[in-house]
Amino acid sequence: MTDNDIIAQILQGDRNLYRKLVEKYQPMVFRTCMGFLHNKDDSDDLTQEIFIQAYQTLSGFKGDAGFSTWIYRIAVNASLNKTRKSSKSLLVQRFEMVFGNSGKQEYSFPIPDSENPENILILDEHRELVQRALESLPENQRTAIVLSKYDDLSQRQIAQIMKTSEGAVEALIQRAKANLREKLSALQKKKKK
Amino acid sequence: MNCQLCQKEMDAYRGGTLPEGIRIQVEAHLESCDACAQMNQLIFLSDKVMDEEKNLQSNPFLVTRIMAGIEDLAPGYESYHPVSVFQKVLKSAIVAVSLAAAIFIGVVAGNLYKPATPVNKIPVEMVYLNDAALESVDLLTN
Repeated sequence: MTDNDIIAQILQGDRNLYRKLVEKYQPMVFRTCMGFLHNKDDSDDLTQEIFIQAYQTLSGFKGDAGFSTWIYRIAVNASLNKTRKSSKSLLVQRFEMVFGNSGKQEYSFPIPDSENPENILILDEHRELVQRALESLPENQRTAIVLSKYDDLSQRQIAQIMKTSEGAVEALIQRAKANLREKLSALQKKKKK
Repeated sequence: MNCQLCQKEMDAYRGGTLPEGIRIQVEAHLESCDACAQMNQLIFLSDKVMDEEKNLQSNPFLVTRIMAGIEDLAPGYESYHPVSVFQKVLKSAIVAVSLAAAIFIGVVAGNLYKPATPVNKIPVEMVYLNDAALESVDLLTN
Protein backbone atom coordinates (compact mmCIF):
# COMPACT_ATOMS: atom_id res chain seq x y z
CA MET A 1 0.00 0.00 0.00
CA THR A 2 1.51 3.35 -1.02
CA ASP A 3 1.44 6.53 1.04
CA ASN A 4 -1.20 7.97 -1.30
CA ASP A 5 -3.44 4.90 -0.82
CA ILE A 6 -3.07 5.21 2.95
CA ILE A 7 -3.94 8.92 2.82
CA ALA A 8 -7.00 8.23 0.65
CA GLN A 9 -8.24 5.68 3.21
CA ILE A 10 -7.55 8.03 6.13
CA LEU A 11 -9.56 10.74 4.40
CA GLN A 12 -12.40 8.25 4.03
CA GLY A 13 -12.43 7.88 7.81
CA ASP A 14 -9.89 5.17 8.68
CA ARG A 15 -8.04 7.32 11.20
CA ASN A 16 -5.98 4.42 12.63
CA LEU A 17 -4.07 4.03 9.36
CA TYR A 18 -2.34 7.32 10.15
CA ARG A 19 -0.23 5.35 12.64
CA LYS A 20 1.57 3.73 9.67
CA LEU A 21 2.58 7.12 8.30
CA VAL A 22 3.65 8.30 11.75
CA GLU A 23 5.78 5.19 12.35
CA LYS A 24 7.41 5.57 8.94
CA TYR A 25 8.19 9.28 9.00
CA GLN A 26 8.50 10.12 12.70
CA PRO A 27 12.30 9.45 12.93
CA MET A 28 13.12 11.83 10.08
CA VAL A 29 10.81 14.56 11.34
CA PHE A 30 12.39 14.22 14.78
CA ARG A 31 15.90 14.51 13.27
CA THR A 32 14.91 17.67 11.40
CA CYS A 33 13.53 19.17 14.60
CA MET A 34 16.74 18.21 16.42
CA GLY A 35 18.77 19.99 13.75
CA PHE A 36 16.90 23.21 14.40
CA LEU A 37 16.17 23.01 18.13
CA HIS A 38 19.10 20.94 19.56
CA ASN A 39 16.92 19.82 22.44
CA LYS A 40 15.38 16.35 22.72
CA ASP A 41 12.26 17.25 24.69
CA ASP A 42 11.45 20.24 22.48
CA SER A 43 11.99 18.09 19.39
CA ASP A 44 9.66 15.38 20.75
CA ASP A 45 6.95 17.96 21.41
CA LEU A 46 7.38 19.63 18.06
CA THR A 47 7.30 16.28 16.21
CA GLN A 48 3.99 15.56 17.92
CA GLU A 49 2.62 18.99 16.93
CA ILE A 50 3.79 18.53 13.34
CA PHE A 51 2.03 15.18 12.90
CA ILE A 52 -1.17 16.48 14.44
CA GLN A 53 -1.02 19.56 12.21
CA ALA A 54 -0.34 17.33 9.20
CA TYR A 55 -3.35 15.18 10.10
CA GLN A 56 -5.57 18.23 10.37
CA THR A 57 -4.48 19.50 6.96
CA LEU A 58 -4.28 16.11 5.26
CA SER A 59 -7.14 17.00 2.95
CA GLY A 60 -4.89 19.74 1.54
CA PHE A 61 -2.27 17.20 0.46
CA LYS A 62 -2.48 17.18 -3.32
CA GLY A 63 -0.09 14.32 -3.99
CA ASP A 64 1.99 16.34 -6.52
CA ALA A 65 5.07 15.71 -4.41
CA GLY A 66 5.57 12.74 -2.10
CA PHE A 67 4.17 12.69 1.42
CA SER A 68 7.75 12.79 2.74
CA THR A 69 8.41 16.09 0.90
CA TRP A 70 5.14 17.50 2.22
CA ILE A 71 5.80 16.48 5.84
CA TYR A 72 9.39 17.78 5.58
CA ARG A 73 8.03 21.18 4.49
CA ILE A 74 5.71 21.26 7.49
CA ALA A 75 8.58 20.19 9.77
CA VAL A 76 10.95 22.86 8.44
CA ASN A 77 8.33 25.63 8.72
CA ALA A 78 7.29 24.57 12.21
CA SER A 79 10.91 24.35 13.36
CA LEU A 80 11.74 27.78 11.95
CA ASN A 81 8.65 29.25 13.64
CA LYS A 82 9.68 27.65 16.90
CA THR A 83 13.25 29.01 16.68
CA ARG A 84 11.88 32.50 15.89
CA LYS A 85 9.68 32.30 18.98
CA SER A 86 12.59 31.02 21.09
CA SER A 87 14.80 33.91 20.04
CA LYS A 88 11.98 36.28 21.08
CA SER A 89 11.84 34.68 24.51
CA LEU A 90 15.63 34.86 24.91
CA LEU A 91 15.21 37.81 27.23
CA VAL A 92 12.88 35.78 29.45
CA GLN A 93 15.38 32.89 29.47
CA ARG A 94 18.21 35.21 30.51
CA PHE A 95 16.00 36.61 33.24
CA GLU A 96 15.30 33.07 34.46
CA MET A 97 19.00 32.20 34.32
CA VAL A 98 19.89 35.23 36.41
CA PHE A 99 17.34 34.27 39.05
CA GLY A 100 18.14 30.56 38.78
CA ASN A 101 14.60 29.58 37.90
CA SER A 102 14.96 27.95 34.53
CA GLY A 103 12.18 25.37 34.36
CA LYS A 104 13.66 23.83 31.22
CA GLN A 105 15.67 20.69 31.84
CA GLU A 106 18.65 20.23 29.56
CA TYR A 107 19.03 16.80 28.04
CA SER A 108 22.43 15.27 28.57
CA PHE A 109 23.73 13.28 25.64
CA PRO A 110 24.59 9.64 26.30
CA ILE A 111 28.31 9.24 26.91
CA PRO A 112 30.00 6.33 25.15
CA ASP A 113 32.12 4.22 27.51
CA SER A 114 35.12 4.50 25.17
CA GLU A 115 35.29 8.32 25.45
CA ASN A 116 37.79 9.75 27.89
CA PRO A 117 36.69 12.60 30.21
CA GLU A 118 38.81 15.21 28.41
CA ASN A 119 37.18 14.44 25.06
CA ILE A 120 33.74 14.58 26.66
CA LEU A 121 34.51 18.01 28.09
CA ILE A 122 35.83 19.30 24.76
CA LEU A 123 32.75 17.96 22.98
CA ASP A 124 30.41 19.52 25.53
CA GLU A 125 32.04 22.93 25.08
CA HIS A 126 31.99 22.53 21.32
CA ARG A 127 28.31 21.51 21.28
CA GLU A 128 27.29 24.96 22.48
CA LEU A 129 29.51 26.63 19.87
CA VAL A 130 28.05 24.54 17.03
CA GLN A 131 24.50 25.27 18.15
CA ARG A 132 25.17 29.01 18.33
CA ALA A 133 26.92 29.00 14.96
CA LEU A 134 24.02 27.09 13.35
CA GLU A 135 21.46 29.41 14.88
CA SER A 136 23.26 32.45 13.52
CA LEU A 137 23.01 31.21 9.91
CA PRO A 138 20.37 32.73 7.62
CA GLU A 139 17.20 30.60 7.57
CA ASN A 140 17.60 29.22 4.03
CA GLN A 141 21.23 28.23 4.65
CA ARG A 142 20.30 26.65 7.98
CA THR A 143 17.46 24.69 6.35
CA ALA A 144 19.75 23.41 3.59
CA ILE A 145 22.53 22.35 5.97
CA VAL A 146 20.12 20.68 8.45
CA LEU A 147 18.40 18.69 5.71
CA SER A 148 21.78 17.72 4.28
CA LYS A 149 23.66 16.92 7.50
CA TYR A 150 20.93 15.64 9.82
CA ASP A 151 18.65 13.92 7.31
CA ASP A 152 21.26 12.94 4.72
CA LEU A 153 18.98 14.12 1.93
CA SER A 154 20.24 14.53 -1.61
CA GLN A 155 20.40 17.98 -3.20
CA ARG A 156 17.46 17.00 -5.41
CA GLN A 157 15.28 16.15 -2.40
CA ILE A 158 16.32 19.33 -0.59
CA ALA A 159 15.51 21.34 -3.72
CA GLN A 160 12.01 19.80 -3.81
CA ILE A 161 11.40 20.57 -0.14
CA MET A 162 12.70 24.13 -0.42
CA LYS A 163 10.99 24.64 -3.79
CA THR A 164 14.18 25.76 -5.48
CA SER A 165 16.74 24.43 -7.97
CA GLU A 166 19.48 21.91 -7.22
CA GLY A 167 22.10 24.51 -8.14
CA ALA A 168 20.67 26.93 -5.61
CA VAL A 169 20.76 24.22 -2.93
CA GLU A 170 24.39 23.43 -3.72
CA ALA A 171 25.28 27.10 -3.44
CA LEU A 172 23.34 27.39 -0.17
CA ILE A 173 25.15 24.40 1.35
CA GLN A 174 28.55 25.71 0.29
CA ARG A 175 27.80 29.14 1.73
CA ALA A 176 26.41 27.58 4.90
CA LYS A 177 29.57 25.52 5.39
CA ALA A 178 31.82 28.52 4.82
CA ASN A 179 29.73 30.66 7.19
CA LEU A 180 29.70 27.90 9.77
CA ARG A 181 33.51 27.65 9.72
CA GLU A 182 33.87 31.41 9.96
CA LYS A 183 31.41 31.70 12.84
CA LEU A 184 32.84 28.70 14.70
CA SER A 185 36.32 30.10 14.40
CA ALA A 186 35.16 33.54 15.60
CA LEU A 187 33.18 32.06 18.49
CA GLN A 188 36.12 29.93 19.58
CA LYS A 189 38.49 32.90 19.50
CA LYS A 190 35.97 34.91 21.52
CA LYS A 191 35.70 32.11 24.07
CA LYS A 192 39.49 31.81 24.44
CA LYS A 193 39.73 35.52 25.23
CA MET B 1 49.81 23.66 -0.92
CA ASN B 2 48.52 26.93 0.54
CA CYS B 3 45.88 27.47 3.23
CA GLN B 4 43.13 28.51 0.80
CA LEU B 5 43.53 25.36 -1.28
CA CYS B 6 43.79 23.19 1.82
CA GLN B 7 40.53 24.56 3.26
CA LYS B 8 38.85 24.14 -0.10
CA GLU B 9 39.79 20.45 -0.16
CA MET B 10 39.01 19.88 3.51
CA ASP B 11 35.48 18.53 2.95
CA ALA B 12 36.68 16.04 0.37
CA TYR B 13 39.60 15.14 2.64
CA ARG B 14 37.27 14.50 5.54
CA GLY B 15 34.96 12.51 3.28
CA GLY B 16 37.91 10.41 2.10
CA THR B 17 37.21 11.20 -1.55
CA LEU B 18 40.51 12.94 -2.37
CA PRO B 19 42.95 11.35 -4.81
CA GLU B 20 46.05 9.92 -3.09
CA GLY B 21 48.43 12.68 -4.26
CA ILE B 22 46.27 15.58 -3.05
CA ARG B 23 45.47 13.77 0.21
CA ILE B 24 49.20 13.51 1.00
CA GLN B 25 49.63 17.22 0.21
CA VAL B 26 46.69 18.15 2.47
CA GLU B 27 48.07 16.02 5.31
CA ALA B 28 51.52 17.58 4.92
CA HIS B 29 50.00 21.05 5.02
CA LEU B 30 47.93 20.20 8.11
CA GLU B 31 51.09 19.09 9.90
CA SER B 32 52.91 22.31 9.10
CA CYS B 33 50.08 24.88 9.44
CA ASP B 34 48.54 25.45 12.87
CA ALA B 35 45.60 27.53 11.58
CA CYS B 36 44.49 24.86 9.11
CA ALA B 37 45.02 22.08 11.67
CA GLN B 38 42.80 23.98 14.11
CA MET B 39 40.18 24.47 11.44
CA ASN B 40 40.30 20.76 10.65
CA GLN B 41 39.84 19.95 14.33
CA LEU B 42 36.92 22.41 14.52
CA ILE B 43 35.18 20.74 11.58
CA PHE B 44 35.85 17.30 13.05
CA LEU B 45 34.23 18.30 16.35
CA SER B 46 31.29 19.96 14.58
CA ASP B 47 30.62 16.82 12.56
CA LYS B 48 30.80 14.79 15.75
CA VAL B 49 28.29 17.07 17.52
CA MET B 50 25.91 16.92 14.56
CA ASP B 51 26.25 13.12 14.31
CA GLU B 52 25.48 12.82 18.00
CA GLU B 53 22.30 14.89 17.68
CA LYS B 54 21.36 13.04 14.51
CA ASN B 55 21.63 9.63 16.16
CA LEU B 56 19.50 10.61 19.12
CA GLN B 57 16.31 8.55 19.37
CA SER B 58 12.93 10.14 19.94
CA ASN B 59 10.67 9.25 22.83
CA PRO B 60 9.64 5.57 22.39
CA PHE B 61 6.04 6.52 23.17
CA LEU B 62 5.95 9.36 20.66
CA VAL B 63 3.81 7.44 18.15
CA THR B 64 1.31 6.61 20.90
CA ARG B 65 1.32 10.24 22.03
CA ILE B 66 0.64 11.45 18.48
CA MET B 67 -2.20 8.95 17.97
CA ALA B 68 -3.68 9.92 21.33
CA GLY B 69 -3.51 13.59 20.27
CA ILE B 70 -5.38 12.69 17.09
CA GLU B 71 -7.97 10.70 19.03
CA ASP B 72 -8.63 13.81 21.11
CA LEU B 73 -9.46 15.82 18.00
CA ALA B 74 -13.12 16.39 17.40
CA PRO B 75 -14.46 14.80 14.21
CA GLY B 76 -14.16 17.05 11.20
CA TYR B 77 -10.52 18.02 11.87
CA GLU B 78 -11.33 21.11 13.92
CA SER B 79 -8.48 23.10 15.32
CA TYR B 80 -6.45 21.13 17.86
CA HIS B 81 -7.05 23.63 20.64
CA PRO B 82 -10.14 25.50 19.55
CA VAL B 83 -10.39 28.94 21.13
CA SER B 84 -13.63 30.76 20.38
CA VAL B 85 -13.74 34.46 19.51
CA PHE B 86 -15.87 35.02 22.61
CA GLN B 87 -13.12 33.50 24.80
CA LYS B 88 -10.46 35.69 23.17
CA VAL B 89 -12.55 38.88 23.65
CA LEU B 90 -13.48 37.91 27.19
CA LYS B 91 -9.84 37.33 28.13
CA SER B 92 -8.74 40.70 26.75
CA ALA B 93 -11.69 42.45 28.43
CA ILE B 94 -10.89 40.89 31.81
CA VAL B 95 -7.24 41.96 31.54
CA ALA B 96 -8.25 45.53 30.56
CA VAL B 97 -10.82 45.82 33.38
CA SER B 98 -8.30 44.45 35.92
CA LEU B 99 -5.72 47.02 34.82
CA ALA B 100 -8.24 49.87 35.03
CA ALA B 101 -9.35 48.70 38.50
CA ALA B 102 -5.73 48.51 39.69
CA ILE B 103 -5.03 52.06 38.47
CA PHE B 104 -8.27 53.38 40.04
CA ILE B 105 -7.49 51.75 43.41
CA GLY B 106 -3.96 53.19 43.24
CA VAL B 107 -5.24 56.72 42.61
CA VAL B 108 -7.89 56.48 45.38
CA ALA B 109 -5.36 55.10 47.88
CA GLY B 110 -2.94 57.89 46.95
CA ASN B 111 -5.58 60.57 47.55
CA LEU B 112 -6.49 59.13 50.96
CA TYR B 113 -2.93 59.54 52.16
CA LYS B 114 -2.34 62.52 54.46
CA PRO B 115 1.20 63.51 55.39
CA ALA B 116 1.91 63.17 59.12
CA THR B 117 2.12 66.47 61.00
CA PRO B 118 5.58 67.06 62.53
CA VAL B 119 5.63 66.54 66.32
CA ASN B 120 8.50 68.93 67.10
CA LYS B 121 7.05 72.00 65.49
CA ILE B 122 9.43 74.98 65.27
CA PRO B 123 8.08 78.02 67.20
CA VAL B 124 7.07 80.95 65.00
CA GLU B 125 9.72 83.31 66.50
CA MET B 126 12.47 80.81 65.68
CA VAL B 127 11.43 80.77 62.03
CA TYR B 128 12.36 84.48 61.74
CA LEU B 129 15.68 84.06 63.51
CA ASN B 130 18.46 84.91 61.10
CA ASP B 131 21.57 82.89 61.93
CA ALA B 132 23.76 84.99 59.67
CA ALA B 133 23.04 88.16 61.68
CA LEU B 134 24.21 86.68 65.01
CA GLU B 135 27.47 87.91 66.38
CA SER B 136 30.28 85.45 66.27
CA VAL B 137 31.14 83.94 69.67
CA ASP B 138 34.81 84.27 68.73
CA LEU B 139 34.53 88.09 68.77
CA LEU B 140 33.32 88.04 72.38
CA THR B 141 35.97 85.64 73.64
CA ASN B 142 39.00 87.36 72.01
